[in-house]
Amino acid sequence: MSSDALALHGWSMLTAATVSASCALVGTLLVVRRMSLLGDAIAHAVLPGIVVGVLAGGRLGGPLVLAGAVVAALMTVGLTRGLRAAVGLAEDAGSGVVFTTLFAAGVVTVSLFASRIDLDPECVLFGILELAAFDLVSVGGVEVPRALLTATAVLVIVAGGLAATWQLQISTAFDQEAAAAAGIPVAVVTTGLLSLTAVATVAGFEAVGAVLVVAMLVVPAATAELLVHRMHQVALVAVAVAVAAAGLGWLAAWRWNTSAAGMIAVVLGGFYATAVVLAPADGLLARLVAKLALDWRVAREDWLARIWRAGEQAGAAGASVVRPRPRTGLERAAAVWLRLTGRVERSAGRVRLSKDGAREAELVVRSHRLWETWLGRHADLPADHLHPPAEWVEHHLGAAMRERIEAELTAGEADPHGREIPPEAGRPDGPPPVV
Amino acid sequence: MTLATFGQPALIAMAGLGLTYNTLVVLGGVAAVGCGAGVVGSLTLLRKRPLVGDAAAHATLVGVAGAFLATGRRDLPTLLAGAAVSAVAGLLVLVLLRRFTRTREDAATAIVIGVSFGLGLALLGGITARGIPGGGGLERFLLGQTAALTARDAALLAVISLLTIVIVTAVLKELLLVAFDPAFAAATGWPVGLLDAGLMALIAVMVVIGLPAAGAVLVTALVVIPPVAARQWTDRAGSMLVLAGLFGLTAAVAGVAVSSLRSGLATGPLVVLAAAAICLASVVIAPRRGWLARRLRSRIRGGDDQP
Repeated sequence: MSSDALALHGWSMLTAATVSASCALVGTLLVVRRMSLLGDAIAHAVLPGIVVGVLAGGRLGGPLVLAGAVVAALMTVGLTRGLRAAVGLAEDAGSGVVFTTLFAAGVVTVSLFASRIDLDPECVLFGILELAAFDLVSVGGVEVPRALLTATAVLVIVAGGLAATWQLQISTAFDQEAAAAAGIPVAVVTTGLLSLTAVATVAGFEAVGAVLVVAMLVVPAATAELLVHRMHQVALVAVAVAVAAAGLGWLAAWRWNTSAAGMIAVVLGGFYATAVVLAPADGLLARLVAKLALDWRVAREDWLARIWRAGEQAGAAGASVVRPRPRTGLERAAAVWLRLTGRVERSAGRVRLSKDGAREAELVVRSHRLWETWLGRHADLPADHLHPPAEWVEHHLGAAMRERIEAELTAGEADPHGREIPPEAGRPDGPPPVV
Repeated sequence: MTLATFGQPALIAMAGLGLTYNTLVVLGGVAAVGCGAGVVGSLTLLRKRPLVGDAAAHATLVGVAGAFLATGRRDLPTLLAGAAVSAVAGLLVLVLLRRFTRTREDAATAIVIGVSFGLGLALLGGITARGIPGGGGLERFLLGQTAALTARDAALLAVISLLTIVIVTAVLKELLLVAFDPAFAAATGWPVGLLDAGLMALIAVMVVIGLPAAGAVLVTALVVIPPVAARQWTDRAGSMLVLAGLFGLTAAVAGVAVSSLRSGLATGPLVVLAAAAICLASVVIAPRRGWLARRLRSRIRGGDDQP
């Protein structure tokens, strides 16, 4: 790549990244306040504001256009609320009416005045990121794209505005009523957020066009929410995701010779999809692994406990007990695993638990019977309804819980079915008999 | 040839107005689409999911570009078939995100809108940059452009719209039951999930055949605005559906007619503005529910403005 081409790509990537960062910051609050679709509506509805600003003699990214956009954004919200107040129209339907109408008005105006202003319906949809590097201004001797200057100014406004009101924004986002009761001017805080959204949207609009702004607003924050949970972390991760996607999207668009705005949205979608699958705690993979691990432990414990119970029965009734068989595929696998690891021993067609196996089984049976006893005392359930809940809880009762329940019992008390509750330290007479 | 003899004076009059046979057929097709969109949109509005079509609408672009790339053809049926596939895929992704992730529903909708539209634009941009023959006209699906429609295309749109309206009429009772009281519908044994899926499919169909008139970005308006306008005039669901159909038809025809007066103007925004004008009038002057009526009532009764 020649140094000219490098500079061109570098400037454009930097512009895209700066714009994305502003959008990601306001998007964090929009997403957590369930206002994502309002972000979408604002992204469309700023168009007439921008057009009027341009027609009034402003230039893209200039203060006149920014002001027009903020007015249009607040108008969207105002008109939507007005429709609700005037005729009781639900907010989502109202915003659907308002933003499509405003956007349509903007497109028609752009088409009518296309010869007089440097906007056309194409750039409304695609953005003009590709052209950013051709409109340069000199800053301290360095030729810098004008769009980058705008984007930087917008980032400063957005980041500054949010940093100054961060605590208020968070309090309002999580509990509006509590925030209002604590004396926070909720309406002012919300209007501030909407104005900053409009400002960030204008920069995004210029870079990637009206529709894709919604991707830059929502996707980084939604991705970050899957990865971290504290709000300031979400904001920082969202910005990192947005900047990375802007750079990669730009490179991908250059590599495959296509729309940079489109590729940035596609890369953002790729990041989100990756987070959906691989996020450490909330990812599909992590949840699948956790579920399988739990199923596997339950299958192992159930198998051990069933052999133990059969042994207990055999000890009481002489040797004529039906040997347990695995009920599910997972239990069969668990049975094989437990034999391989030596916790179940098998010889001459008979099965017995090793010392370790018996100890594990006793703890499960102990949890089960303690829980049945506790439920029998406190839950007012008939005796034949105690087993199913205990069958599940036995895998989740820790030593501390078992101790607390046992403290309620008299020494040597049996469970509601009259069976012995094995002691925490294990039975003194060793593993139960062979099955 | 009774039609020709009967229609001859009319044809001459049309020619005088600058209307050709083709324009008339296109207007007819677009009218049917506007009508169908109003009818189906009324049901999603009553179901309190007015924006469900928006995700499907933005996803259609991927299918339009994909169908062109896969088949090399650019006739309307092929492109709309592609659009239908990607619209359904977009809705499916939305359902899966809602079911399997922590992402809130509104954010999931915005993600499907933004990312699918981005993919569509990237495909379109790639087609344009490579100068693939015939690929240049695909941009008309962004904002709608009926100038390129043939009479056959328009007839196809009309047939699909009418079929949709027939289906809606056939299962209207069930759809309304689910819209007004899903819990009761489920308790009395109606397959609520299936009916909801059916309604989603109908809205996807309407969004797809609305593309030529309104474009991917604005076709949502075709299923949202006429029903909102119709709701102002009546409290009866049946009348609302009929009115929404009429309003949608009027808006579509007016938008297309105005755009034919001037070249280079996309039809979508004009259709939307026509619908918005009807909606504004309805919101202000409709009896009982309208803003004026409420103001008058609250003057008379002193405060109570509930209808």
